[in-house]
Amino acid sequence: MIDFARVQKELVECSKDSEGSGIKVSPKSDDLVQLFGTIPGPVGTPYEGGIFQIDITLPEGYPFEPPKMQFKTKVWHPNISSQSGAICLDILKDQWSPALTLKTALLSVQALLSAPQPDDPQDAVVAQQYLKDYQTFVSTARYWTESFAKASTRGIEDKVQKLVEMGFPEAQVRNILEAVGGDENLALERLL
Amino acid sequence: MENNAFRDRNFADDEHEEIPESFVCCVCLDLLYKPIVLSCGHICCFWCVYNSMNCLRESQCPVCRHQYYHFPTVCQLLHFLLLKIYTVAYKRREDQTLEEEKKSGFYSPQFDPDTCESQAKFGHSGIPSSSSVTNLTSNSCNVGTSECTEQSGSTTHERDEGIVYSNGEADIAGTPAQTQEEISLQQKLSVADVTCTMCKQMLFRPVVLNCGHVYCQTCVVNNTDDDTLRCRVCQSPHPRRFPKVCLELDHFLEEQLPEEYRQRRDAIELKQIKVKLETTPSCSLDKGNKGENKDWWSDPDSKVHIGVGCDFCGMFPIIGDRYRCADCTEKMGFDLCGDCYATRSKLPGRFNQQHTSEHKFKLEQSNIMHNIMLRLATAQLGDTSIDLESVGNLEIASDGPTLFDDAVDNHSDSEATN
Repeated sequence: MIDFARVQKELVECSKDSEGSGIKVSPKSDDLVQLFGTIPGPVGTPYEGGIFQIDITLPEGYPFEPPKMQFKTKVWHPNISSQSGAICLDILKDQWSPALTLKTALLSVQALLSAPQPDDPQDAVVAQQYLKDYQTFVSTARYWTESFAKASTRGIEDKVQKLVEMGFPEAQVRNILEAVGGDENLALERLL
Repeated sequence: MENNAFRDRNFADDEHEEIPESFVCCVCLDLLYKPIVLSCGHICCFWCVYNSMNCLRESQCPVCRHQYYHFPTVCQLLHFLLLKIYTVAYKRREDQTLEEEKKSGFYSPQFDPDTCESQAKFGHSGIPSSSSVTNLTSNSCNVGTSECTEQSGSTTHERDEGIVYSNGEADIAGTPAQTQEEISLQQKLSVADVTCTMCKQMLFRPVVLNCGHVYCQTCVVNNTDDDTLRCRVCQSPHPRRFPKVCLELDHFLEEQLPEEYRQRRDAIELKQIKVKLETTPSCSLDKGNKGENKDWWSDPDSKVHIGVGCDFCGMFPIIGDRYRCADCTEKMGFDLCGDCYATRSKLPGRFNQQHTSEHKFKLEQSNIMHNIMLRLATAQLGDTSIDLESVGNLEIASDGPTLFDDAVDNHSDSEATN
């Protein structure tokens, strides 16, 4: 039911100018249902310099239904759950249009990073902080970017590989690394 | 990366045919197949439009979110134009779509010579239709039209015969694919392929009515004498507002036939025809449908036939009485809305149903329980199926909101804060 021909075209199209936009989409598995996208944090925001990974799941009705997107990288933002990475963005819900693509959706997510909407929050705690104590919000968001969105893109893969080489199953390693926010030692403790 | 593999697979077969972006469907990202022009002027494939329509209420254009309530008919002019100039890619799309249709059991309209001819006869009743030309592989309909054009052109218009680059049938029918590659796009394209239904000259600022017939913008404006905008060819009413110019087609014509385009523009400017879109009488159906739509949200008794469209006017979903053909055996079935049942259309179905006038209809009840459940469900879910903006546009709120509308509003508010 998913229009795979279109998904393939989208991937080609996206890879063509990934240099310019910095946005990448790659398939996680061969079936093209699970994908992951990466967006660079917008310049001039607390997210600058970070590379954010987003899990993408295509529903049966894609492109007539919106793709499911969720931040894999932890991020401190009023419209993104600091716990689950769930994104509150209208075009990923009722304002989706089949003329939008994975790339344009990721661009919108990137734009959301530049322009938080605290009045329509996903994470109430972050939104409260954004409204009441903007300075703290900025420094927390920057700290989260530093800790989770930098180097971790490569770092995480290295850590996964290291732990897998120690003999742990990859899926479990990934889950635990994610749960502890990428800390290799904590993950090892949990695995043991 | 595997991207290279994708590229090879996708574009290998029609590498030599470069499809301009304007003829790429924004939904499937492939060459338009059986194109439909929405009243906002944007083009999508037949199935792409159908699949992106909302089965509960007004649909939106995928590009501009322009709202429409009637499923338009395939624009045959564009269909045959694309078939002619991007033959290889179009055939590939045809095979591909047919494959999918076989799987799903739902079929798109087929433009076989018979239907085209009957339409041609219907349309140009004064002019003998070209029954001699029946070419399955190419555009018999278009050839028919072009002959008519030439006949009328030679008598009524002072038309430069030199405009026609390729002379219709021989070129299209007999040319093998290999030599076609060598022929440039300009040579494949002739003015006869892109003429206005009304003035029989090359289209200038084309608009496409809901029935799929194409006119110059000025031709439609000048010829509406009553409130209802009706197609001159098939007499079907065009619902809602005056259609917008199909800019993709307009730009294509300007690019490919610059000389003719300029002549047409000059001629029209000479006549000093002023197109006043604001003063254009809107179709009477416009008001009617607004009312209907309002009813469906606020009136608990309104009969909505979820996901069922009228095969004549295209209303989707049908609100009010619905008549279903008892004799059509296609999976899609054949349905008419109350108004169209009263007028008894003779047009073929929108999904290639073999419906005939001998078939009997029966009045179909909308499922009341289903409707109630649906209302509850949409009120609870809120986000996916109720677009507050569009509700606002329909002026429900200003016309005295009902309990149901309040519930929707409140719910959305509360949802926004959690």
